[in-house]
Amino acid sequence: MEFNIHSIVFLIFSVITLGGGLGTVTSRNLIHGAVYLIVSLFGVAGLFILLSAPFLAAIQVLVYIGAIAILIIFAVMLTRSMTRMTEIYNRQWSLSLVVSALLFVLLLVGIILPVWGPGTANAALQPSELVATTVDLGVAFVDGNQFVLPFEVASLLLTAAMIGAIVIARDRD
Amino acid sequence: MQECIDIFNTFAGCLTASGADPGLAQFLSILLGVVLVAMGPLVIVIFLIWVERKYAARVQDRLGPNRVGPFGLLQTFADALKLITKEDITPAGADKLIYNLAPIISVVSVILIWAVVPISPLHIGADLSIGALYFVAVGSIGTLAIMMAGWSSNNKYALLGAFRVVAQLVSYEVPLVFSLLVPVMFAGTMSMQGIVEAQLGMWFIVFSPLAALIFFISTQAETGRAPFDLIEAESELVAGYNIEYSGMKFGLFFAGEFLHVFTNALIFAILFTGGWLGPFVYQVPALGIIYLFAKGSIFYLLSLHLRNTLPRIRIDQLMSFNWKFLVPVSIANLILVAFLWKVIQLIGLLPGPENASDFLAHLPAAIIMLVGNLALTVVVLQMLRNVGRRAVAANAVSTPANAELDDQPYSLPVPH
Amino acid sequence: MGNEFDFLTHLPAIMPEIGLAILAIVVLGLDLFLPESRRRSIALVAGIGLAALALTPLLWGPPAVPTGIGPEEQNQVLLFWGGMVRHDVLAQVFKVMVLLAGAFTSLMSIDVNGIGRKGEFYLTIIVATLGASLMSAAADLIMIFVALETTTIPLYILAGFKRNDGRSAESGMKYFLFGSFMSAVMLYGLSLLYGFTGQTNIYALADFLTSPAFGENPVPVLGAMVLILVGFGFKISAVPFHFWTPDVYEGAPTPVTAYVSVASKAASFALLLRFLVAVFPADMMIGGAEIHGFWVQLAAVTAVITMTLGNVVALAQRNIKRLLAYSSIAQAGYTLIGLAAIGAQEQSVAAVAFYMFMYTFTNLLAFAVVVLFSEATGSETIADLAGLSRRSPWLALTMTIALLSLGGVPPAAGFFGKFFLFQAAVAADLTWLAIYGVLMSIIALYYYLVVVKVMYVDRSEDESKPIPMSRPYAWVLGVTSIAVLILGTVGAQVVFDWALANASTLFA
Repeated sequence: MEFNIHSIVFLIFSVITLGGGLGTVTSRNLIHGAVYLIVSLFGVAGLFILLSAPFLAAIQVLVYIGAIAILIIFAVMLTRSMTRMTEIYNRQWSLSLVVSALLFVLLLVGIILPVWGPGTANAALQPSELVATTVDLGVAFVDGNQFVLPFEVASLLLTAAMIGAIVIARDRD
Repeated sequence: MQECIDIFNTFAGCLTASGADPGLAQFLSILLGVVLVAMGPLVIVIFLIWVERKYAARVQDRLGPNRVGPFGLLQTFADALKLITKEDITPAGADKLIYNLAPIISVVSVILIWAVVPISPLHIGADLSIGALYFVAVGSIGTLAIMMAGWSSNNKYALLGAFRVVAQLVSYEVPLVFSLLVPVMFAGTMSMQGIVEAQLGMWFIVFSPLAALIFFISTQAETGRAPFDLIEAESELVAGYNIEYSGMKFGLFFAGEFLHVFTNALIFAILFTGGWLGPFVYQVPALGIIYLFAKGSIFYLLSLHLRNTLPRIRIDQLMSFNWKFLVPVSIANLILVAFLWKVIQLIGLLPGPENASDFLAHLPAAIIMLVGNLALTVVVLQMLRNVGRRAVAANAVSTPANAELDDQPYSLPVPH
Repeated sequence: MGNEFDFLTHLPAIMPEIGLAILAIVVLGLDLFLPESRRRSIALVAGIGLAALALTPLLWGPPAVPTGIGPEEQNQVLLFWGGMVRHDVLAQVFKVMVLLAGAFTSLMSIDVNGIGRKGEFYLTIIVATLGASLMSAAADLIMIFVALETTTIPLYILAGFKRNDGRSAESGMKYFLFGSFMSAVMLYGLSLLYGFTGQTNIYALADFLTSPAFGENPVPVLGAMVLILVGFGFKISAVPFHFWTPDVYEGAPTPVTAYVSVASKAASFALLLRFLVAVFPADMMIGGAEIHGFWVQLAAVTAVITMTLGNVVALAQRNIKRLLAYSSIAQAGYTLIGLAAIGAQEQSVAAVAFYMFMYTFTNLLAFAVVVLFSEATGSETIADLAGLSRRSPWLALTMTIALLSLGGVPPAAGFFGKFFLFQAAVAADLTWLAIYGVLMSIIALYYYLVVVKVMYVDRSEDESKPIPMSRPYAWVLGVTSIAVLILGTVGAQVVFDWALANASTLFA
């Protein structure tokens, strides 16, 4: 692997993403966990920019940081006692550590390396010359020969989910 | 590679011409741009504070700052000096990391917006292809800063303030985005520079004044200024989320807010009134800066005027005004505008690129759009009037005690 | 597929879905404008609308496939909407199934306290049905995931719909937590498949996986397959991913339980069948490993475990909903036999389709009785069913038909369902599996017959109080029990042949 500016930036964003993720799961304070999550999501947004997908990067910041992370923090703050939680409720963390380490090795050695690692056919694959623009993305959503059906179904699903959430959450019947 | 025309407009080109490595020249020019974009707003904010204080004073029949420097212009420097030398207090039980991070994020979230503010035909921090979306995305980080401040202070007033922030800012982001989509649709691009250039023939505020109005109201709410200043609400929450902050950390929040108002005014000018467009701007690009700031200042003063003359509204009014009025109207407006725009395209009234700067060529399209917008406005006002009448009628029959509870003139009928 | 997109040629493939979307809006509008006293008609509109829509797959059937053309050309004829859905007989059969399930569920919710008069309830059922209907036709990884979520997310809401009832809330929460986790696992598997190949259409995946460019390494493919199968295992409640089933079935409002147990399961089986056959086809070898054989064996083993656990644990149940929950786990086990017998080609596909078809009617019938009984008495324990034959003879009779069908006793439909499955197993050289299935059916018969015995033999003090039944319930019970009887006699071969027709187009 050769080192150029691209791979250095990739490394930086990867460290941000993974570090944030690690912080999220290891910090005892839930608010700190949420803040680490935001850091991690920022890293992902950076990776999207690196992949020439600025639209997805902006959406990542807007939706995941601007809405989801904020709601997480909001929910945690509403249960104030949880934010001061320091003891571990789940005593199986050591077990889960073993399981996740095993899964990691399995994924890395069993799946990721054989397919994209050195010496495989996929490793030689060059990134596509074709850069999909935001316009391409928009067209793909409304083109009958592309993704219009899942796109419309997803919007229907969101509507139903929203109505259902309101039904379950509202005070009066 | 750029040509060297003059040092002001083509910095990298000139560096290369004088023998510098092109890559290095590019890097230096970007670095200079970043520093300028980041520092410019901070210089501007010093004078904004003065303007704001003077304006508020005039509205309230006072003189305002008038001791330090001519017309009190240097008052802000004195204040900044005071804030820096003040004791910096971190409350016991505060979450130190988050507590200290919050004011920084608050200012940074505003300065980041400046990266996509085109100040002249040649000058823009980064002409992102998703500039308009970037504006919204970065703006949402400001919410985060206030949340962090409110929570980490370990103070119930601060926390209450932060709760209100989420409710308010997240809600008002919806009409903001819906009205932002209108100029994006007209221009056919999300690039800020592209949006400005698309207004060569006609400003977008003429095409859709309703979208402009909704955008203006939403940005007013996004910055948490009166009549939407429930975040701070001195009389209820003492000072809201920043109650525990002192010294320069408080100053950062303060500066961030002032700067946000001005930035939003600039964005408004860019989206709806043609940004840096004006006479001879292509011959002398630097003129664009003057045009943009002149337009922005008008909307900034409008915002100041609203702040100083309107009373604060209640939290339930705030929410129902947004969800039951602004959001439906902005959605209806977006659908209407999209429909009319398509119709105009189909019947061939839309001027092509060859006469993009022709005012008259845009006139028929503008008239159709304007009439459509006005029709929608009339319909909405009529609906409001009906609701108001019903509310009055209901008040007349109900007991006086109930009458106060029913006092929600803005709410549209909600089916139960 | 040409670049020109002709809306009208693509329309028939999603006719039921378009109808469902319109029906959803109608139901929402009715909820808005009808006064409280007339909300009962929402259920009728939803139920009758769904039943009418069940005709659309029949009216706008799949296009005729010319004989003697290769799989590529077949897909060109059958794939619609840019390869998102495949309009074939398998999709047709299962669409009819889920639409009918939605219709009967709506009708049997009509008098249920707390949900019957809520337009939102029916809206959510309709959207879930839309998802299930798309699941039966989905032929693209994106579509598969969106359709799956469109089915499951409304079901989380439905399970927790009685928000003042602690059990319902718990059921909704459990379903949501397990379901979203399993969806994530499955999505990870799907994204790996996409990462390996850069393709999202399942009919294009197999070629890429077997191409030399992929590297001849079976481990990654098996890994992705296992992750996806875990997700499917959850949806069809196969052991060991069944643990949510009894709790969710017990806590959810009973019509919802009925819906989850039939529509969601049937659509999942349709999707599972289509997915496995298309992505890991019969002759698939990667680096010398039998990819196809791997999942077939996995299905056989899962079938054995699932049947065993479902039937054995069902023996100990006292709550009728929990009993039916474990019974439904066991039924999933039987159906997995059909999947394991994929070597019998069309025969096994048709057997699975028929089994799900008859199971839809049977389980709806059983749950309709439970709904009526528990609404009238407030009890769900088996012991309280005592004397039902004297309280409401018709109710007891229909319940008996349902239980006999679940147990596989002629003349109820279950007999032919199992018969076709075991026949396919024998044809695919899995005689041992067929024999094991028969043994398990005999065990199952015990707990089904215990319920019958309680209804007919045991006495109770409430025998003089008949159970009130409104007209929609009479329709549901009548139609489903007649359907079960017809499917168990003259209709069996007809439906089986229908499913068999063109099933060969699945095998590319």
